[in-house]
Amino acid sequence: MDSRSPRSNAEWLSALRSSGAEQADAITELRAYVLRAALYSLRRSRGNLGRLAPTEVNQLAEDCAQDALLAILQRLDDFRGDSRFTTWAYSFAVNTALVAARREGWKSVPLDKVIDSPRLDEWTAEADRTPADPQRLALQTETLAVIREAIDHHLSARQRQLVKAVFFEGVPLDEIVRHWGSNRNAVYKLLHDARRKLKTHLEERGFGVQETLDLFGVGR
Amino acid sequence: MTTPDFDRFLRHIWQTEDEEISCTECFDLVPQYVDLELAGQAPASTLPRLKQHLDQCGVCREEYQTLRDLARLEAEGRLPSTDELRNSF
Repeated sequence: MDSRSPRSNAEWLSALRSSGAEQADAITELRAYVLRAALYSLRRSRGNLGRLAPTEVNQLAEDCAQDALLAILQRLDDFRGDSRFTTWAYSFAVNTALVAARREGWKSVPLDKVIDSPRLDEWTAEADRTPADPQRLALQTETLAVIREAIDHHLSARQRQLVKAVFFEGVPLDEIVRHWGSNRNAVYKLLHDARRKLKTHLEERGFGVQETLDLFGVGR
Repeated sequence: MTTPDFDRFLRHIWQTEDEEISCTECFDLVPQYVDLELAGQAPASTLPRLKQHLDQCGVCREEYQTLRDLARLEAEGRLPSTDELRNSF
């Protein structure tokens, strides 16, 4: 794919929507682009792929490229032309490969136990930086208590599980989506609603943005 | 949760907006954002709601960063070949 001049967006769309050899050539070329993007994405996510042999990673890349290619061809009409066609196409490969990599990295982790683990007490203890200044320590303790109260009493059980999983345990959203049989939009919305409740609770209790961030040294 | 995690958690709470775009909307806009960025423009000004989503959503942010770096390497002629990538595992 490096030997010819790059196709314009219009040329990509025209060729992919044509038939016969012209379309076949374009699909072959597009598949090469997409495979390279999938391989690149998997290489960046090597930490999740430690249990796979090199041949298995290469096969995973082939599978991701194929899935991405099919998605691209099905969604050609969605391409609005506000980016290069190849950037748009790459986004499918990157998404497919990184979702697969996260799946590989987390597949041996029992998410039921992770999500339900009562780690809030540990967290508040760890988050406490025990500063030398007693007044600062008192304010930190008060803030943490308010956040804990909000998590325990103002979030739904599902929101509490989600906040714990994402922020306390570092579980990728994709894995919660898979575990709950949901979709990324729905889980993101659930987390957004949880964040809104926590923010509102802090505001209602008189906490301000900058004072809270400064209190814990966030953003220094 | 370690201290950096708590920092992130606190920041995410305060940076929450009443209305935020979905992951699907983010996916649709990220290629434009990346190309604007590589063209030296200011995508966060053009697409502020996308930037806000990227700040909040870890998986979308990872995908954006990967796409951005991939496109940048390609534009600079430094993207490894398919064979080089295959042999890197």
